[in-house]
Amino acid sequence: MLLSRFWYGILAITLGVSVFILFVAVQMYNRTGKAAMSDSLSSDSSAVDWFLRDDARRRSSALINIALSPEVSAGLAKASGDAKIDDDTRSKTGAALRKLGEESEIKFDHLIAVDAGGRVVAMWGFERSRKEVEAWELGGYASVADALHGWIRDDAWVWKGSILRVVTRPVEKEAGGEPIGAIIGAKIVDDTFAREVTKRTGAAIAFFADGARVASGAPEGFYKSSLDEITRDLKHLDTNKDYQEKGRSEVRVIGEHLGVVYARLPGEAWDLGAGYAVGRVAVSVNSPLDVLNRADKSDQESVTSSKTVIFVILGALLVAGIGLFLTYLEYTKPLAAFRREAERLAKGEIDMLQPSHFRGAYKKIAADLNDGIEKVAVKGGAPRKAADLEQVLGPIPAQPRMSAFSVPGPGGTPPDSASRPSFPRPPVSDRGPPRLRNSGPGAPSADSGEQVRFSDFQMPAVNESGRAAAPISEEPAKARPQPPPPPKRPPPPGAAAAALPQEVAPVAEASFVAALPADDSFDEVEDWRRVYEEFVAVKRQCGEPTAPLTFERFKGTLQRNKDALVARHNCARVKFTVYIKEGKAALKASPVK
Amino acid sequence: MDPKKACFPAKGSETTRGGSGARLAPRLGILVALLALPSAALAAANVVTVKGKASGTAKLMNPAWNEAKDPKSHRFTFREPSLTVRQDVRNLTGYLPKELCIVAMVPDGKGPAPKVPLRVTIAGGRTSPVTLVVAEGQQIQFENLDHFPHKLYDVGAKGFAVAETQGGKSRSWTPPGPGKYEIRDQTTPSLRSWIVVEPRTVGVGYPDRKGDFAIDLEPGKYKLRGYFNGAPVGTELEVVVTPFPGEQPLKAPLLVGDNAPSTGG
Repeated sequence: MLLSRFWYGILAITLGVSVFILFVAVQMYNRTGKAAMSDSLSSDSSAVDWFLRDDARRRSSALINIALSPEVSAGLAKASGDAKIDDDTRSKTGAALRKLGEESEIKFDHLIAVDAGGRVVAMWGFERSRKEVEAWELGGYASVADALHGWIRDDAWVWKGSILRVVTRPVEKEAGGEPIGAIIGAKIVDDTFAREVTKRTGAAIAFFADGARVASGAPEGFYKSSLDEITRDLKHLDTNKDYQEKGRSEVRVIGEHLGVVYARLPGEAWDLGAGYAVGRVAVSVNSPLDVLNRADKSDQESVTSSKTVIFVILGALLVAGIGLFLTYLEYTKPLAAFRREAERLAKGEIDMLQPSHFRGAYKKIAADLNDGIEKVAVKGGAPRKAADLEQVLGPIPAQPRMSAFSVPGPGGTPPDSASRPSFPRPPVSDRGPPRLRNSGPGAPSADSGEQVRFSDFQMPAVNESGRAAAPISEEPAKARPQPPPPPKRPPPPGAAAAALPQEVAPVAEASFVAALPADDSFDEVEDWRRVYEEFVAVKRQCGEPTAPLTFERFKGTLQRNKDALVARHNCARVKFTVYIKEGKAALKASPVK
Repeated sequence: MDPKKACFPAKGSETTRGGSGARLAPRLGILVALLALPSAALAAANVVTVKGKASGTAKLMNPAWNEAKDPKSHRFTFREPSLTVRQDVRNLTGYLPKELCIVAMVPDGKGPAPKVPLRVTIAGGRTSPVTLVVAEGQQIQFENLDHFPHKLYDVGAKGFAVAETQGGKSRSWTPPGPGKYEIRDQTTPSLRSWIVVEPRTVGVGYPDRKGDFAIDLEPGKYKLRGYFNGAPVGTELEVVVTPFPGEQPLKAPLLVGDNAPSTGG
């Protein structure tokens, strides 16, 4: 049991450590993901910035054809010299603008031609009434003023919540002269433009002005809801020092995984708080289990194709195998043994379980069962059949030389032991050493200190069932119709050991032997001395020390055993026999009627 | 009340350019008719056209544009000169027809009390005119010609609070007293205008791009002074307007560039 419990402990600790490591790994992964996201965001923001710069230059270049158009130039020159711009000039210039705008490879949303004073002469892509156009001018904008002073530049305007990316270019009548007007090309920042930025840069981008998102674009896999989070975060820009001073914020993490970098748009939009936000969602996992959800096919294939999975499988099999082996060793196998013994008990092959054959809790269960069986028997249970003496005492020679087993029966042939009824004694109990059963009312009690113990010396268990196996007459068995007495509680284990010297061989109680012929000349002391000498000889033969074992001590032990047996079995005397048990010298005590 | 176009010279191309706009077309027609009247009619009205020329205008730099050209102002991603344009043209001088206000003042006392509001339009990133000198008590009507709203206010909170003026709508304001009022717009950073309340003012005029200007004045002694970016520039020029002839050219140019702020170009 201990091994499997220890294994479970190891497994629990390993599992706990593994889970802990997984959570730490998740945190590390998320932290690394955020760091990577920050780097990517900075890169994205720079990429968008460069895209906008390049886009502005390309659009400015696209204005060259328009600025060099003779129709446009002529119209602006005429308008600049007139106090009032006539309709013919406006229409001709407007037609030229429309044609050039439609032919331009780079599409503008608005094309506006202004004269030297900044008055709007013609425009394309702009829906305003004629009167409004006649009263309108754009010369106050710095970019338009720059163009009217010979400069080419870009700008960003915010008109009614919309962002216009503007490029301006002067229109000259002749080289080296003054500008006679300017061409203004404007591109509205809308979702189409934002998607184009996303397509070119791979970044999720949201343009905002007046505290609201005006356009956005995002690559696949970027949730639109994240753009809403960016919109909600715009109010914090007023207090963002980097954004206000440098025009670009540090990486801001909104929610748990959304990183955003805000940047202001160069131009008038800069002062109006318009800009763009580049966002990225950090690659992160919410829990160790979420790793499986985030992994794509390539991840799974790379793992399954590597040797790692083999080690994982082998490790799992090893762990499972160890667990199963320990379970088999500590549970299945003992249970099977117990089941087998129980089946034998149920079939009547045995009368008692042998706790020594079991391990762990089964030993205690077997002992308890035996106690229960014995109590039942005491209360008048069914008579038991004879026990297998060999099972109790171990291998018994067919014809023991100096034992009661060799005594022939009345017929000259030892009767079949199996056919003899007997009252087997329970084997070694798990709760303590086997006890000498008091078989009669005159038997010594545990309290009297006269109880004789056989198992305190770690002897093979001796059972009264040996009577059945012994070649004795039927008389002793028949003479004992009463059931066995109830078992006594064992004394403390140390008490018996202290009472008897360890050097003296333990004495096993054997079955009754047949009544010996009356022999008045029988000298018990001499017989015991003979047994002693034989015992010492056998001990020497077995390589056991014999020095501490004196005859007096040996004699005392035999006397106590004899007294106990005589008291219990009401026998005339006790015959002691020396034999070898498991390589050690041992004694058997056989009551003699 | 009809807006008065006195903020622009009564004669010359700049009148129409910076003036009342499409909504004043009928009135402009009347004005043109009045201009076509013989000088006798003017004499009968005691109005003489004084013509002159402002000198030193090349030093009058528009502050808003020159601030915008500084890379630190983050107003552009690229700004480069057109190689086919003369270098001296690249200086961001002010647009005289809207930014240089020629003021005729009486030497002593106060000018006549204004009777009609002056109209100032908002369009294209600026007001027209940019600098306006008025007499005390003059009401000014700001009219938004853009299609999106503007939010004008005066710097220093001297009485012109922030208010939104929708496209096509107007907003009136009378400066509380003598002094300079800088007007800005929360929706258009390039818009910077000045209103100067000068009690001695009797009339104003705006030059054309070359600096030529004309002011209608009654006969009498006046001092002419140029105002740029809300501040007097150059030197005063004393003129005496006689009843005849109807057009009286000034013998000396009006110097406006000596003490004008030079911000480069």
